[in-house]
Amino acid sequence: MMNERIIPLVAFMIGLGIFFSYVQPTWSGTIAETKVAIVAADHALAAASAYVSQQNTLASAQNAIEPANLERLGNFLPDSVDNVGLILDLTALASRSGLSLSNIDVSANAVANSAASLAPGALPAARSNPGGSIDLSLSAVGTYTALQTFLAGVEKSQRILDIRDIVVRGSDTGGYNYQMKLRLFWLR
Amino acid sequence: MLPPTIPTSFVPHPAGAAPRQSRINLAGVFGFFSYGVLGVALALALGVFFYGRILASSQASRDAALAAAETSIDPATVENFVRLHDRLDSGTALLASHPAFSNFFALLETLMPVTVRFTSMHLSFNDAGGVKLEGTGVAKSFNALAAASAAFAADGRIKDAIFSNIVVSSKDSSVSFALTAALDPKLVAFALGASVQNMPVQGMFETSSTTTPLP
Repeated sequence: MMNERIIPLVAFMIGLGIFFSYVQPTWSGTIAETKVAIVAADHALAAASAYVSQQNTLASAQNAIEPANLERLGNFLPDSVDNVGLILDLTALASRSGLSLSNIDVSANAVANSAASLAPGALPAARSNPGGSIDLSLSAVGTYTALQTFLAGVEKSQRILDIRDIVVRGSDTGGYNYQMKLRLFWLR
Repeated sequence: MLPPTIPTSFVPHPAGAAPRQSRINLAGVFGFFSYGVLGVALALALGVFFYGRILASSQASRDAALAAAETSIDPATVENFVRLHDRLDSGTALLASHPAFSNFFALLETLMPVTVRFTSMHLSFNDAGGVKLEGTGVAKSFNALAAASAAFAADGRIKDAIFSNIVVSSKDSSVSFALTAALDPKLVAFALGASVQNMPVQGMFETSSTTTPLP
């Protein structure tokens, strides 16, 4: 008689024990976490798929650009300041233009944006203002025609150069004295 | 007629049969319920166990696919794309604000009478991004200076031209002056289409022989 009552009671207790000690914790714990991880993995896989698609699109677009134009683009906005090389080119341009450069210096008001440091393993991302710039001041002497030629050369320079300031003064010799401030740019 | 004390059957009735039947049914129901709970709990446990195995396997396969996708991403390629994007983006912005002062000098040649000349000139960008002109000069006569002022006003691209410090020489009636003005941004804007075509591939600058006058 006692067994008839105790055994169902034990079975009932075991059933409750199984539910509350394994089924419920496993369902709301491990399984829920795994589901969340799977959803996150699905999102990451979708992003990876979108990345591959975007990479292919970008690679096609980049391949459509002629290598010579890409090279010109690199010269247009170089990866480094290289102001020494630029000064050499400016001197050569002035010489061709008939302008005599007397003084070239780098101004102090450099505008260089800090490069954001990447976390290890992180992929680079587009920045809002990735360029840097410094001002180059120079003095020159020459004719007005020489100035025009020099200005045209600077304005059409393959490396972009902005003339920010120009002072022209006449002289007793018939030529002109020039002071210019050029801004040069590079990609950080 | 049988007497009422004589039993109708010789099979003895179990004592209290009706009450005992109800007690057995309660125990049976409880037993059935208890075994049912146990069975359901066991079934759920098995289901949860195998469902967990399936999910774990699914997660493992996704993790493997993700790891493969991650290794297929080349940071150098990404860097290349990002730098090209930055270069194109920055280049577009720089070209949009690229100044060409030769346009101004070309205009000045056409506007200024030959009897008026500058002895000094200063062109600079102000804080607002506009171009400011400051200069001093000498005109052969007051009429020549007035003609220059009228030419500036008629053209409209040399704005707010204010002639000051006007001094008439007692020797030759020449007029010295100072000038301040603001330049129309379009006047010193770089003409993109023409310049790109003329941009040299070799060398940083165009030689003077290949320089094409700006429009």
